[in-house]
Amino acid sequence: MTPAILTSGLSKDYGSGRGLFGLDLEVERGEIFGFLGPNGAGKSTTMRLLLDLIGPTSGSASILGLDTRRESLEIRRRIGFLPGDLALYPKLRGADVLDYLAALRGTVDRRVRDVLAERFDADLDRPVRELSSGNRQKLGLIQAFMHEPEVLILDEPITGLDPLVQRSFHALLGEVAAEGRTVFLSSHSLAEVERVARRVAILKAGRLVVVDTLDNLRGVAVHRLELEFGSPAPDELFQALPSVTEVRRDGSTVTVAFEGAADPVVKAAAAYELVSIRSVDDDLEEIFLRYYGDDA
Amino acid sequence: MSVPAFTFAVRLRLRSTLSAAAALVAVLLIVGALFPAVGDSIGKLNLPKGVADLLGGADYATITGWYRSEIASFYGPLLISAVAIAGAVSSTAGEEEDRILALVLAQPVTRTRLVAAKGAAVAAAVAAVAVAAWLGLIAGVALGGGGISVQHLAAYCVHLAFFGLAIGSVALAAAAATGRRALATEVAAAVAIAGWLINGFAPLADPVAWLRFLSPYYYYAHNDPLTQGIDLVDLLVLAALAAAMTAVAIVRFARRDLRG
Repeated sequence: MTPAILTSGLSKDYGSGRGLFGLDLEVERGEIFGFLGPNGAGKSTTMRLLLDLIGPTSGSASILGLDTRRESLEIRRRIGFLPGDLALYPKLRGADVLDYLAALRGTVDRRVRDVLAERFDADLDRPVRELSSGNRQKLGLIQAFMHEPEVLILDEPITGLDPLVQRSFHALLGEVAAEGRTVFLSSHSLAEVERVARRVAILKAGRLVVVDTLDNLRGVAVHRLELEFGSPAPDELFQALPSVTEVRRDGSTVTVAFEGAADPVVKAAAAYELVSIRSVDDDLEEIFLRYYGDDA
Repeated sequence: MSVPAFTFAVRLRLRSTLSAAAALVAVLLIVGALFPAVGDSIGKLNLPKGVADLLGGADYATITGWYRSEIASFYGPLLISAVAIAGAVSSTAGEEEDRILALVLAQPVTRTRLVAAKGAAVAAAVAAVAVAAWLGLIAGVALGGGGISVQHLAAYCVHLAFFGLAIGSVALAAAAATGRRALATEVAAAVAIAGWLINGFAPLADPVAWLRFLSPYYYYAHNDPLTQGIDLVDLLVLAALAAAMTAVAIVRFARRDLRG
């Protein structure tokens, strides 16, 4: 089966080093794929290229096996898109905007739309200009999902949503993936993606830094133990261990960063009077910040 | 053409189009009512030809001259140009600058059909204003004591509509090609106003008299539809300009990157 999304050397050069450069990416059908990177990394550019809103400088992309340039119309029939900087007709009611987009699309089951509106607790009767950014975002999500597309391309979908709606949204993503549909969502925040995505790609300054599963990324994480001693323990105690990468001391508390198993560190510490041990494992956010580098 | 995009564009501009039409009718009625008292007393002004041409002949002594000078020379084309330009620009470059167009184009509609729909909506607004102008003129002329046939008023309004279409299509082309609201408005307004000035002043100097043939305003006004009726060649030229500019809009928009 052809992948849901496939890009090959996809590039958009805006000059001065800005844009997207040589993106090779494959998103499988039925997966929720996180597309991460700091602001300006090229996430929205990638999505705009996939939607054929802009053309590539070089390279190509396909969605569901269809070329994004030549077969964009058929692609747009089968995908749902949420733009990153969502804007809607300010004077119109939410329902009017959705009606218009549905009319352009031609095939939208009104019941699906109504169920989504209920699920997100969306207000469809007020003019868009009177809605908060979170409530506008709900309209954006409804229009992206209302025709039950095979692939969803969502640019920063959580923006402005309150925690309850975020939960509904995450549940919906899970259901969509369970049905074999694909979600490609971007974010500058890992926390947003961590709960739903199995695989992620990290983009920095227009270039792909890494594509991997979150499990693998967690595997290479640096772990930390915060050890509080009753009596001072010598610094060399931990520095001598091969798996230890960093030792920090703050009074009687020593924070030890290490790779792999905790066993050698704990055994070394056990020779002294330990008041407490706290795991401050390097979380994924830190892994990502490392990839983001100076841009974070 | 995308029918939903057309009806939606018409709907978005409905209020401003109806306001413009109502304002035009009101002005036409007032101008008609003022003719017996004012027009007659002014009579025909003795002005240099170029200036008189800019004022539609400056002959205020007849109801035809009165309306030509008060409405047909400037106010009518100005208003219909404003309606056409605003409609064309707001529905294309305006939506693009407001970042709405990316969402619209995420739906399965081709850019060609979308721009065609926007162009058709502009044509609908122009037609509505032209029909309002016709009705307003009929009533206004009656208030002024009569003197211009309904057919000649209709002929004038057809010329007015074609002029509006031509200017609107220039706006559509500039807006669709650049995605810039202010630029497109300026270009189309410049074509309308420069055309009006060229039509008035170019004939004063023989070497550049031909320049008036480049002015859309020339094809709108030179045959004086209020007395001569419809000039098919003039209408054809304006229609050709509108068609060419709409084609430019479609081709340019289909090929370029969306801004934002």
